[in-house]
Amino acid sequence: MSLPEPIQRAIEAFAALPGIGPKSASRLTFYLLREQSAALRDTLAEAIRGLNDVAYCQQCFNFTEAGQPLCPVCRDPHRDDGLICVVEEPLDVEAIERTGVYRGQYHVLHGALSPIEGIGPDDLKIRELLARVQAGRVHEVIIATNPSMEGDATAMYLHRLLAPLGIKVTRLARGLPVGGDLEYADQNTLRGALVERKEM
Amino acid sequence: MRLLRLSLQNFRNYVRLDEETPRGVLLLVGANAQGKTNLLEAIYYLATFASFRARHDRDLVHFDAPGWGCPAVGRIVAEFQREGELRPRRLEVRLIREPNGIGDTQCRRLRREVLVDGMKKKLTEAMGLFNAVLFLPRMTELVTAAPEGRRRYLNMVLSQVYPAYAQALTAYRQALTRRNALLKTLQEQGGDPAQLDYWDAELARWGAPLIAWRAEALAQWELLIRESHWHLTRNAETLRLSYHPSFHPLLEGSLQREAENNQVLTQVPVEQIAFAFHRALVRRREEAIARGTTTIGPHRDDFCFRNNKKALALYGSRGQMRTAVLALKMVEMQWMERRTGRKPVLLLDEILAELDAERRANLQAHIVQSEQVWLTTTDVEGFAPDFVRQSTVWRLDAGVVSPVSAGGDQS
Repeated sequence: MSLPEPIQRAIEAFAALPGIGPKSASRLTFYLLREQSAALRDTLAEAIRGLNDVAYCQQCFNFTEAGQPLCPVCRDPHRDDGLICVVEEPLDVEAIERTGVYRGQYHVLHGALSPIEGIGPDDLKIRELLARVQAGRVHEVIIATNPSMEGDATAMYLHRLLAPLGIKVTRLARGLPVGGDLEYADQNTLRGALVERKEM
Repeated sequence: MRLLRLSLQNFRNYVRLDEETPRGVLLLVGANAQGKTNLLEAIYYLATFASFRARHDRDLVHFDAPGWGCPAVGRIVAEFQREGELRPRRLEVRLIREPNGIGDTQCRRLRREVLVDGMKKKLTEAMGLFNAVLFLPRMTELVTAAPEGRRRYLNMVLSQVYPAYAQALTAYRQALTRRNALLKTLQEQGGDPAQLDYWDAELARWGAPLIAWRAEALAQWELLIRESHWHLTRNAETLRLSYHPSFHPLLEGSLQREAENNQVLTQVPVEQIAFAFHRALVRRREEAIARGTTTIGPHRDDFCFRNNKKALALYGSRGQMRTAVLALKMVEMQWMERRTGRKPVLLLDEILAELDAERRANLQAHIVQSEQVWLTTTDVEGFAPDFVRQSTVWRLDAGVVSPVSAGGDQS
């Protein structure tokens, strides 16, 4: 390749991102090289540098700005600090926030127990969760790990640890998607919906 | 049931094949390595969604032609008529070889798509639509070789008959892989054994129905096999089949395993098997952690043949083994027909050459009752002229089929 070195470096950097192959990486790079893109280049560079200042919230382990020990949710005095929703990833917090109905706090595990990837309890923020619950005040923990094998294994493990502490432990219900068609629901989902049906 | 039409594209040595397939006996004649067995492999794939001989499914896709791009798509398409149905069904399997990451020019990743009557379906939904029974050469290996071969055989037959079998097997294997990985970690690095709780429960949940189905099938086969084997040996010998589950819910901790348990085990409800299996997994955790693997469960099951109460694998002659396997295959045909209400398509690979005249006549009498039989041979002279006259003969030459003659009294 006879491209100038800075261009090659930019392409390689883009290609290192998930979901971006060499073609997309070149396209992005050449888009940024256009004269009109000068401002965008600066904004991007600044934004990416800004990511270095992001830290973990010391309570829930979601992301927070540097210099702030707690994230906006944990700082909010109107939220119920006796209710904790446990999720795998920070993006899961965003998803639940978008529903607009949850007024408690969160705890981000940063993954799920995965025997295949060798991720055990010590690799997740599980000890921190227990410490939070043991400190008092918490009356319910909602486990919102993914409905996958790994997510379920994590949920069961957490339940075992939390149940002896005398608090309420719940798990997100499994059911049919809104606007879905019963006929096309897969067996496992339908089975879950039947088992976890609700009295009207 | 029978195939009405078979099309292959980039499957093994078939770049393209599209043939109407006749009722009755179809003789595939050709020298070695011309693609006779590949045809049977393609057809059996439609029944089990697994190859009976490839290590990786990607090896099934014809991939050596120069200038062929990646991805490459192998395709098996069949139209087949099931008994009692008005219209033929159409089953299509696409084996798509894709690059596994950048720079993989060998296209190592395989993706499968299954279409039923033109609609994409999950594999488990297409399982059982098409049924086939396969006779392979060197069939005495089923008796003498390692238990893995017998388990694979059970899986291929049972997944065609019990609709949820394949799904349970997949879930069981997934849970087993994870449990074993966790056991290995606990063995090497230590850690909280409570992490096993979930995997123990999953293993019991999916393993219990596997044990129950295997017990039921083998118990039913045993009843059928006596008759078929007596017939083959002119009442001289008694053949028994016994299921040896690696975990037996009634004989926990004991090594005594009697053939009689076949029938007894079918009386145990699946919930009870799950409960006992789960308890055993929990009890043997220490042993499992020490070994770094799951020591009991359907992944270690076996079954065995006994001839006049003696283990056939140890005391049987080659002739006795051959007769036993032949009896089992006939039972498989019968049983599948009883359970599904449809006659399976028969696939016989070079099988008649291994049999003596009497057994061959016996088998031929059986197979002609089927709606469709595919037979491969290198030498058409080995068959009785009458049999050949009534059969359709195709000559196979390097993946190209040329019909030689149509069946005499059929069309």
